[in-house]
Amino acid sequence: MIKTVNDLTDFDPIFIRYDIKIAPKKRAASDVSTDPALQAIAKGVVEGDEDMVAEASKAAIASKGPQTVIDTLILGMAEVSKLWDDGVYYLPQVILSSDALMVGLNMAEEALGSAVVKKGTVVMHCAHGDIHDIGKNVAAALIRANGYKVIDLGSDVPEETVVKAAKDNKADLVTGTALMTTTMSAFHRVAEGLTKEGINIPVVASGGAVSEEWVTSWDRGVYATFAKQGPEMAGDAASGMSWEDMRAKWNLVL
Amino acid sequence: MPKYTSMAYGSWEEMIFGTAKHPVSIGFGPVELGKKHVHPQIVPHPRPGSEATKEKILKEYQRMTEDALSHCAALGFPSIVIEFEHIYQMTSQPEWAAAIFAQAKAQMKGYYEKYGLKSALISTVADLRKPDMVNMRKCQEIDWMLATFDSTAANGADVLSIETMGGKEVFDYAIQRNDMKGIIFGIGVLSSIDMAWLWPQIVTIAKKHGITPGGDTDCARGNTAMFMAGGYTATDVPHTVAALARGCSAARSLVAYESGATGPTKDCAYEDPIIKAITGVPITMEGVASACAHAELQSNLVAAVVDLWSNEAVEYHDMFGGSSVEVFTEILGYNVAQMNAAIELGYAKELQAINVASDKYRDVHGFMLSPDNSYEIGKAIVANVDSYYLRAKAAVLKTAELISADKKMLLSDFEKDALAKARADVEALPDNEGDFIDMCLSEYSKVPGFDPTSYGF
Repeated sequence: MIKTVNDLTDFDPIFIRYDIKIAPKKRAASDVSTDPALQAIAKGVVEGDEDMVAEASKAAIASKGPQTVIDTLILGMAEVSKLWDDGVYYLPQVILSSDALMVGLNMAEEALGSAVVKKGTVVMHCAHGDIHDIGKNVAAALIRANGYKVIDLGSDVPEETVVKAAKDNKADLVTGTALMTTTMSAFHRVAEGLTKEGINIPVVASGGAVSEEWVTSWDRGVYATFAKQGPEMAGDAASGMSWEDMRAKWNLVL
Repeated sequence: MPKYTSMAYGSWEEMIFGTAKHPVSIGFGPVELGKKHVHPQIVPHPRPGSEATKEKILKEYQRMTEDALSHCAALGFPSIVIEFEHIYQMTSQPEWAAAIFAQAKAQMKGYYEKYGLKSALISTVADLRKPDMVNMRKCQEIDWMLATFDSTAANGADVLSIETMGGKEVFDYAIQRNDMKGIIFGIGVLSSIDMAWLWPQIVTIAKKHGITPGGDTDCARGNTAMFMAGGYTATDVPHTVAALARGCSAARSLVAYESGATGPTKDCAYEDPIIKAITGVPITMEGVASACAHAELQSNLVAAVVDLWSNEAVEYHDMFGGSSVEVFTEILGYNVAQMNAAIELGYAKELQAINVASDKYRDVHGFMLSPDNSYEIGKAIVANVDSYYLRAKAAVLKTAELISADKKMLLSDFEKDALAKARADVEALPDNEGDFIDMCLSEYSKVPGFDPTSYGF
């Protein structure tokens, strides 16, 4: 009879469960308002409960005004970001919170009679010939939830469509994702198209087969490793940071 | 279409790498899969820019193929399987794919005649149908795909395989929200239905050309979940939810073999140990040599019952040891040399035990794919033959039960909570497929682009 895994009791010589060893402590979400009516909105966002957000927003829009509701929604989402940063929340909880945030935001904007002024505009797409878009969708949700206007062009998008969308929407940033090495070539052509149109903005590229080495080999290219970086990168571009400065901040070019 | 109702093996202990209940012979030699020998499989990918012209892409594939074959000859490897996972430009242009396959086959023939190097060529057509953008059954993309299956089968492919995309629109929505109902609907129901529609057509093309219908993988869904779950430090998708999704993947990928596919299975189908337990077909797995494409937490364990050992995909470029194709052919060749030495020495069970001990308790994904647990999940699947939904649900619940019951399978508090919630959510689902589908068609009408007619609803 040979020995098997059932004969082992100590696995440390083989692997160490760092996820158990350094597991973050559970913590409750912090309140963002002492006003129960507003805290109910924030709680709905933190818990990703669309119904709670809708009910609380409806009441608060009438009693406090839509702008106060919008401010509270944003504070709630900021608490969600903290919980994610602390390892207490995982992505699905952030996405559900983002869904709930959008419910309240749409109600408040309708009451306000106009859309909230956005921090900037980001045109997002998945490369021509590529249909692997879950990373783009996650990044879009995070960027949108952080107060930016997202023009999501979807998947398998021709280069000229991306350039036109950037021009028509006065975009601060274009992003592209791809899983295949032979579809990501399109990002370079998008960057060239922007240059031809005189649109001087960065092109952030990311995805399974996309490499920093390749993205930084052409003008305007800035490489992103994770969807989570999206909101800060959008902020950099919206604040007027050049693609060269963004590349210096986010990438290592030898 | 008949469903599997029993297991191919009497117990998990009968399962071992290199041997399958139903061996398959392919290509020059032939390469015999599942007959007491593990073969290496290299999957090369062209560099960005090489797709610009037909001339360039042919040159790229010529060089990659030559590197694989010449390295086998240089290092004394008895056999090599080469898989071309189509790039967009191949599947959308069947004449490009035909030329690439004919060229590679001629190179392989040359090495077989000169050295006796056994080899086979797999054509994995790209599923270009994006469920939220096209009707899965009536679109230009499906015409391209079927034409390219045919053109590559006529020009040297020994095996036809694919990574189908059905149900991905609902799955993607669900996995971002820890929504087990949507995960089961996307993988267990929609993807299964799409496969049951497409796979008989693939089998017909393979039979027409006298070649082998290989297999399918839940890459677009199960691997998305697994890769989003990531390593110990990632916080994107709970590992337990990804493992439960993998249970669904097994129920779903079975449809290929119920449609006439015989294996070798697709390398990135991590559900394949369960598939082997049920069907007895030879399976392809990717483990430690797929580090060129992605990280995983079960790289040794997945060799436990493998028949064809792959590297997933490596982009062609230079490394210190030669081209990346040469380097990874070498890694794979020595990996299988060790496995085959174990078989020849009578140490196969010992090596299997070592590989399982390496990873079974490293993470829940390896845990559920260990041969013993794969077998148990397989039994849950074949015990539920009434519908695709019920067998997927059974696979999920069995996976959850196994994880919960084994005290050595440590879980963080977060993972314990995620597993408990997922299990409760699944236990609350309806007992029959009709009710479940009605519920899901209503709920997921909110998923942008979801078109029930793509699945015959």
